[in-house]
Formats: sequence, structure tokens, C-alpha cells
Amino acid sequence: MPASLPDRPAGQSRPAPATPPAPAVFLGVRHHSPACARLVAHTIRTLRPAFVLVEGPADMNDRLDELLLAHTLPIAVFSHYRDAERVATSWAPLCDYSPEWIALREGHAAGAEVRFVDLPAWHPAVAGHTERYANRYADAEARYAEATRRLCEHFAVDTVDALWDGLFEVLGPDADPEELRTRLDTYFGLVRGDAEADAADRAREEYMASWVHAALARAGDRPVLVVTGGFHQPALRTLSARYAQAAAPADWPAVPAPPDGALGGSFLVPYSFRQLDAFAGYQSGMPSPGYYQRLWETDPQGAGQGLLRAVTERLRARGIPLSTAGLIAARSLSQGLARLRGHPYETRVDVLDGLAGALIADDLDRPLPWTTGGTLGAGNHPVVVEMVAACTGDAVGRLHPGTPLPPLVHDVAARLAGLGLADTDAPVTLDLTEEEDRSRSRALHRLRVLGVPGFTRVSGPADGTDPVFTEVWEPRPAAGGREAALIEAGAYGARLDEAAAARLGERMSAAGPEAGAPADLLFDAVQCGAGALCADLLTAFAARVGQVGDLGRLGEMLSATLSLWRHDRVYGVARDQLLGGVVRSAVDRVIWLAEGLHGGPGVDLAALRALEAARDALRYAPGLLSVTPRTAAEAAARISRDPRAPAGLRGAAFGLRWALGVPDDPGPVVQALAATAADALGDWLTGLFAVAREEVAHDTGAEEHSLIDVVDGVVSALPEPDFLVGLPALRQAFAFFPPRERERIAERLLERRRLRGSARSLLRTPADPLLLARARALEENVTRLLDRHGLGPSPADRAAPAPHPEPTR
Amino acid sequence: MTVTAGFGEAGEAGEAMFQRPPAEVRHADELAALRADDDDPRPPGWKLSLRAARRFIVGDEQAGISRKFVGNVSLVERALVTLATNRGLMLVGEPGTAKSLLSELIAAAVSGSSALTVQGGAATTEDQIKYSWNYALLVSEGPSARSLVPAPMLRGMAEGRIVRFEEITRCPLEVQDCLLSLLSDRVITVPELHGPQGLVFARQGFNVIATANTRDRGVNEMSAALKRRFNFETVFPIADFETELDLVEAESATLLRQSGVEPPPRRDVLEVLVGTFRELRGTAAQGERMSTVMSTAEAVSVAHAVGVRAWFLRGEPGAAADVVACLAGTAAKDSPEDLARLRRFLEQEARRRPGPQWQALHEARHLLAD
Repeated sequence: MPASLPDRPAGQSRPAPATPPAPAVFLGVRHHSPACARLVAHTIRTLRPAFVLVEGPADMNDRLDELLLAHTLPIAVFSHYRDAERVATSWAPLCDYSPEWIALREGHAAGAEVRFVDLPAWHPAVAGHTERYANRYADAEARYAEATRRLCEHFAVDTVDALWDGLFEVLGPDADPEELRTRLDTYFGLVRGDAEADAADRAREEYMASWVHAALARAGDRPVLVVTGGFHQPALRTLSARYAQAAAPADWPAVPAPPDGALGGSFLVPYSFRQLDAFAGYQSGMPSPGYYQRLWETDPQGAGQGLLRAVTERLRARGIPLSTAGLIAARSLSQGLARLRGHPYETRVDVLDGLAGALIADDLDRPLPWTTGGTLGAGNHPVVVEMVAACTGDAVGRLHPGTPLPPLVHDVAARLAGLGLADTDAPVTLDLTEEEDRSRSRALHRLRVLGVPGFTRVSGPADGTDPVFTEVWEPRPAAGGREAALIEAGAYGARLDEAAAARLGERMSAAGPEAGAPADLLFDAVQCGAGALCADLLTAFAARVGQVGDLGRLGEMLSATLSLWRHDRVYGVARDQLLGGVVRSAVDRVIWLAEGLHGGPGVDLAALRALEAARDALRYAPGLLSVTPRTAAEAAARISRDPRAPAGLRGAAFGLRWALGVPDDPGPVVQALAATAADALGDWLTGLFAVAREEVAHDTGAEEHSLIDVVDGVVSALPEPDFLVGLPALRQAFAFFPPRERERIAERLLERRRLRGSARSLLRTPADPLLLARARALEENVTRLLDRHGLGPSPADRAAPAPHPEPTR
Repeated sequence: MTVTAGFGEAGEAGEAMFQRPPAEVRHADELAALRADDDDPRPPGWKLSLRAARRFIVGDEQAGISRKFVGNVSLVERALVTLATNRGLMLVGEPGTAKSLLSELIAAAVSGSSALTVQGGAATTEDQIKYSWNYALLVSEGPSARSLVPAPMLRGMAEGRIVRFEEITRCPLEVQDCLLSLLSDRVITVPELHGPQGLVFARQGFNVIATANTRDRGVNEMSAALKRRFNFETVFPIADFETELDLVEAESATLLRQSGVEPPPRRDVLEVLVGTFRELRGTAAQGERMSTVMSTAEAVSVAHAVGVRAWFLRGEPGAAADVVACLAGTAAKDSPEDLARLRRFLEQEARRRPGPQWQALHEARHLLAD
């Protein structure tokens, strides 16, 4: 297969490394590629360069010694930047098999001078491309997908990763370095080919080329090795050739300094394979670090067997049956695939394909993740999940104790001291209405979110609607692992607020789409101070809300969010745009779900509350919503007419129209309901009163058309058995009215019958209170007895609350 | 009216009288060309090497081999390798994801014939799978090789060819299980015949491709014993919007031409149509899944109907309003639930999408009959 790679123009092929006078050797690599790492090591050993220039943040050059300490990999160079407009964080992850890491270590060991030559991470050319959380060692070529797409088509593979494995990684440690290098040159020449790099990439390449020029001037006749992402390599070569005519610079290129008023820097933080594998989309780089670690330590065969073993162990530990015959089938399938694909050994995808083909005896809901190149989403087969996890590996890095602490540790210490929380051993009581206590609360919540031990919250508001304004935190002095936890959390950000926001973001993506929109996450964000930092989080949250499937839960979240948006004075999120976005998509979703809800008898109060919350949003925050009152009313009309919708929901939809100012005539609806089932009327009224109680209470419709009159007419005409069947539901419905409104209804009924008398007395039961108490005690006894024998109603049925439980008749 | 079904090309001139000639006839030239310069090793009993078979299915532009199956290459590779081992291949997926087409193409490539096919159904019996008798001969001569009427499995084993078993899960479970010994021992016993004739051993090249759709009766009911004799491959609807749109455009344009409709379908209308199908398939954001099939093949047939309707009723290319009118019959079929889902989509979701065609779709929602 490699033989069919088109040849490069002869002029661009590299002479043998030892041949002077071509002192700059450009080695284009793929980040996190064991094959490239081996080639870098080999080249350094044979070339003995004076300088090794590595793609990495140039502002780290003064502190390369820190990198050379005896760390346990993976670690990352974490860079952060903040000015008035922009916040950017990025990581340059390094693991045992990173070509950059090898260049650094081996170059240093060989006595060469090692330099990072790329722009600092905060520079707009580096940070400009990417999202807020960026991976410096992502594949640049992924942004110019056309060439790689053509290559994938040519070699008939699904993804770039599979293509790369088949062309390079599969060669193993015994590959001829010269052949590997020619092949890399050809590959990256094709990938860069006709791609017009954007301004940011060109700026970086210019800068790197200026370092090459300076190094060449110093190296005399000794060679200079340049290790960069392969995508940049062809351009660097061209740029350097152009520089060759220029005069030799006296000094190294200047490292750009952050503008005045901006904060920025780079630090080492511990990293993990899980984090390395979690970058998505353009950021992802090479997946499956656990597999490539084994490939680095052994060879393709060893890595394949290791993967097979890891998957087997994981599946058996999870109790998923896996027979020897199944493993044999998987092996023969992988070997067959490797031969069909022209691989001398099995690659990662061969092994995974073999396992998937032989072990999964079900239909899948999602395509195999390694055939699409995406990250693992929801709905994957458990065997696939275990396979991907086995590829990820569980290595966690540790910094050498001599490494300067990440900035977060200092930031937290300074912040806690500033807030007077540094050396407390008494419980801290915070009044959330005081600004000062509120910032203390925010800091403590951020630490909590980051999982840093030290303080535990004993009491405080449980959610956005909880009218509690005091929080109590208990310190746990001498809590072990506090500093370790902080160092670990240092990978999330340089400042406490940034780190907490990044952690919350990670929690959301880890929860997976099937978890819907976890309301506690939203409240955590609010408690941590949902500022600009949580923007991504809240935007993603709003998108998630659009996928929630349960109307009741969605309603709860909507009403909590809406009340925060409307009334919050504590957390400062009232009228917050991002919360508004959550409200918007929640209302969209409520209407969408309500229109699809079908079901039998009984009232789902949670669903009714969801419509109630949507009513409030439509009434008090119409500017926020994409649903206009008119479209909402149209949808409500459809629900209200839908015979398969539960009666309660139909009533609520009827009420929603009423509350939106487009009431319908209740007469025919009530008549029809009473004719179908007596208890449906009560359910319908429950829904109606839940959403439009006020409108009903103040209904001054003409005689015979007002709802109360219509209901009175229908109920009076009910035969006794039907009335008794319908009574409990009717009682539940009227329980939505407070006593005063109930009295007005009673007055109206008296009026209707042209009777005189005290309406209030109608609301009181004439029965002896003692008799009622005895009846209640008897009922409780019966319930207990039924419960004891497992015959009682389910807890869900019992939970139906009655706001005003006195009898109405 | 001649209509070719599936995503293959129309037949050659010689076979124009057939509505749909089998794959080995449709693509006879390509198969011959591939066979001529196929130097790679072939598994015993195979007509093509694995690599040539792969090229036949996923196409090879340089060699003039058309792409016949739009889907992951690795799926095709896994399927081919599976057939070269001692396990059968089970293709599962939603209806209309071109499972049968794939099995036909593979059988044509591997055995040179896709004709050995058992169509599974509620009335399928063992006779139709293994063998039955010519009763006139049986009565006059008694059981003999002459009076035996071989069914596809017996022929496939005796001739060393691939046998296709369509819709295997629609067969009764006990009938499915007659494949058990056949797939593990690779022999069929004919107890009525004596001597060597009573045992038919599978020749090299024999294997089984079964297809099952996930809608009617899933593979969950299959016996575990049978399941483990198959490697499962799930065939997915086309993942990429543009690819699916291109396919629908090409296929519906062909169908419309055959139906005598002059203007080709409008791409912006097809975009709305394919977008609606993808949404209702449950892969997009709102995640509502229709109980009826929303496959690419269905999208093609709706696009065809849209074009026919607009041309013969009004003399113009199909518009968004025609899409609504035709969707009612295809997408909603006889399920009121689905009709409600579709209506809800048109009412709420279509309105939010940008573009005049989506708005036109929303405006035309009343055309969805009650």
C-alpha cells in the first residue's frame, strides 16, 4: 500500500542526514505518534545536532529545566491568558511517546541546545483558531480536511487515524528510519499540498522559521534539527530557504510579551490519559493513548495483544460473557482484516474491528466510534464502551516534587487569605445577602466543585427557589491531600474561578447526553458565580435542555431557572442572558413534549406544573422566548383538542390559552368530558385550575357561559353513581383555590340558585370534627395494614399533594 | 413502466426487459475486469480475492469501478473477512439501509451469483431452506438423488457458494434453528438417502449472509446458539447529509425520468425533504423516532412522488407543499401517532429552521390530512 503513495518532486527530497552542507533537518511529525517519536530519537542519535528546535511555547524556554525533572508522564504545559476581552487556556500534553518530549529529552542528553520555537499559547495566532479549551498538539491538518479526505478515499479507509496507523504506526520499531522519513515527507507534502494555510498558521510558521534562521547562524557547520507538526514542515522548509539569503541575526528571536494589563503564563500540570483522550473534534489529535503507550513500549503485535487482553479483562470484570471461541473468532477476524488491508501486523482499528465483529451479537444504536472519528457519545453498546476505555488507558501523571506549583495553588491560597478563610477552624456562617459573604461562598463552592477537600457545606439553599439565605460551612483542618488535590486541579485553570468553570464543563460532557440537563449542575454554576466564564457551560446546557425527555423534570428546571432569572437578588443572575437562553430552550422543549404526551387517566401534576412554568415564562419573559404567545396558544389549542392527550394536560392547555388571553368556550368541552368519563372532568379541571386559577376565579363571563356555571350545570345533572366516581378528582381540582376564592365560588353558586345564606358556611363541613378525626385514624390504620402486606398504593400515587385539603362541599 | 429498485444502476440494454436484473448481471463487465487482473490470493472457493471484492463494492475510480454501496469501508471489510472464516455474516439494521443490496453485491462478488436466496417469512419451512422432494418421482422411484429437489442451502453447500437468507428473524424460531448444525458441522444429512448420497458436505466457498431488520422482530429473539454462529454487522442510515442528499437526488432524478417527468427535482426542496427524514429518523436533535421506516429508500420514493405529483397536476417541479402532501402517505402510513409526530414537527420545528423552503413546508402543514 505505501508503494502507491504518489512520488514527491525530486527537488524536495532530503539528502542523507550526515551529508553537509545542509545543516537544517526538518522533521515533520504527528503529535503523539510513537513512530515519529522513534524517528526523532534515531535522528538525534545519528545526527548529533547542535540545536534541537521543537514546536512548543517559546515563553517556556527559560524554564526547560522544569520539564527535564523526573516526572511521571503524562504531564502538560498548561498556558493561560486573560485580558479585558479574552480568556484563553490551552494545554500541550506530553506523554512518553510524544515526539516533542523525546526531542527534549534526547536532545538534552545528546548535548544539543533545545529550544521551543512556537509562539506563546496566549498569542492570538495560537489561541485564535480554537475554542476556549485548546490542545496545542492537535492535528493542524484536521482544519484543512480536503486533502486528508482524498487520501482516505484513495486508501479506502474511514478515518485519518486508521490511515495513519496503516501507513506509519504499523511499521513498528524495526522500520527503516530513512524509509519512514521519506514516507512522512511524502505524506505531509500531500496533506499540505494545495491547502492555503490561514493567517494564524502563517504567522506561526514565520515565527518558527525565524528561530531556524537564528539557530543556523549559531550552529556553524553543525546541523540543526527542527521537530514540528508535519503540516508546518513543508512551509518551514520553503520559508527557511528564503531566509537563507538574509543576514545572520545577532540574537534569538524575541519572545512576544503579553500586552499591558494582560495576565498570562505557562506552567506544568499533571495530566491523564483520560483528559488526553477527551478532546473532541478538531482538538482531538491522536486518540487511544493507552494503546499507543503499549505500542511505544513494545511493538504493534505487543500493543494488539495488550489491547485484546485489556478488553477481555474489562469485559469479564463487568460480567459480560466472553467465550474462548469468541476470542478466537475475534483474533482470526483481526488477522484477516490486517491482511486484507495490507498491514504487516494488526493495527488498532484491525483489533477493534475484529473484537466488535466477533463479540457483539446485537444490533448497534450508534456506529462504531473508531469508524467515524468522533468521541464516544450516548447509546453505545457496553462492549464498545469497554473497548474504547481499554484503548484510553488509565495512566495518571505526577509532577516531580521539585516542580514549581501550578498557579492555581497560589491563587487559592491568596484568595482564601484575602477572604479570611485561610486558617479557620470554627464553622463559617455566611449571610448570602452580604456581598462579602457572597464572595466567600463563591470561593468555597468553587473549591467544592473542584473536589478540593477542606470545607464541607452543612446547610444552605438547596436550589434556586429555596428561600434560605444562610450557608454554614465546616472546615476540616489538616485535611489530607488538599495540596495534592489543588495541584491536580491546577490542570483546569490558573485561577479558581476559571478552574471551577472548566471543571463544571467537564462534568457536563462526562455526564453524557442521556443524563439530560442536570439541574444541580446549573445551580452549581450559579453558586460558583455564573459569569462570562460559565458562558460555554450555560450555552451547552441550553442545548442539552432541548433533549430532555421528561416533561415533569423539565418543568421543575424551568420554574427554578425562571425564578432565578426573574427574582434572584443573591447570586446576581437576575436578567442574565445565558440563563435566559436556558429558559428559552426549556420553553421550546416543554411545548414540544407537551404536544406529544399521550396517556390514560390520572393527573400528572409535574406535567401540569411544566405548563404552568411555561405560562409564567410566556407572561413575564416574552422577550426571551422564541415561542410567541400566538404559537404557544396554537399549540395549546391542538393539545386541548387532542383526544389522546391526558385529560389533565388538555385542561392545562385550555387554561394556557385562557391565561394567554384567548379563552375558548368551556361549555362544549365540559359537556363532552362529563359524557365520556366522570373522573375525566375532575382531571381536566385540575389541569385548568393549575394553569389558569386566577382567570377562572375572576371569570365574570355572562351567565350560562362562565365556567363555574357550566360545571355546576353538568355536575348537578350527573347521576349519583357517576358523581361519586368523579368526586375525588373534582375535590382535587378545587383544592387549587385558596379558601377565599372558594368562598366566592360558593357565593356564585348560591346566587345561581337564587338562594340566600352564608357562603362560608358551605365551605365548612357540618360533621362532628371528632368523627372526622376518627375516620382519618381508621383510614391510616387501613393504609398501614395494606402497606404491611404489600397491597398499598405505590409511593408515586400517594404523593399527589392537595394544597388546601379541606372538603369543599 | 420499468423501475429499478435499490441504489444500483439501471440494467444494460440486453437486460432492459427485466425490471431489475441481479447484481452479477448488472455489473458483469466490472466483475469480469476485476477477475481478469486479480493477482491477490483468493480464499478457497472464492471467485475474487478479498481486495478485489472490496473494490467491487466500494468502488475504485481509477479502475472504472463504480461505488455501489455508500457506507463505511470498514464495514464491508469486516463483512468480507467474516465470510472467509467459519462464521456466518448477519447484517442488521433499520429497513431500507441497503442491507439486501449489500448482501447481493457480496454474494455476486464472492460466488459470482446472488441467486441462492432464501426469503424468510412467517410461512418459511425447512423444505425451502434445505431440500424437498419431487413427489411424483418419489412415489414412482422412492427416495433417490433424482427425486430430491435441493433448496438454496443444499445447493450452496454442494456448489461451495454464498447463500443469502433474507429477513431471517421473520421465520419461526424453530425454522431458524435448523441452520445450527448446518453452520457448525457444515453438513446436511438426508436421512431418506443411503450411502454417501445421504450426507452433503459443504464445499469451500460456502457461507451464509443473513439479513434482519430491527423493526419487525429484532435479533433479540434469536437463540443464543444461532447468534454465536454469526458475526453481526449493523448497517446504518447514511451518516453524512450531503451524501444522502446526493444519493436521493440522483436516484429520484432517474425515477422521474422514467416516469416521464421532465424537470429534475429541485435541490432546495430535496434538502428539506431529506432534512425532515433525518429528523424523523431520530438521529437529529429532538430525538423523536417514528415507528414507520424513514430510510433513504423511502426518501427517494417520496421525492419521486413529489415530482410526479407536481408535474402531472401543475406542470412544474415539486415544491415544499408537495412534500407535505406526499409525506402523509409515506411517513405516517397507518399510525396516528406518527401522523401526530409529523404534524408536531411541521408545526413547531420546521418553523424554526432558516430558509424559504422550510417556511414553505411550515406554511403547507394544513395539507397533512387529518
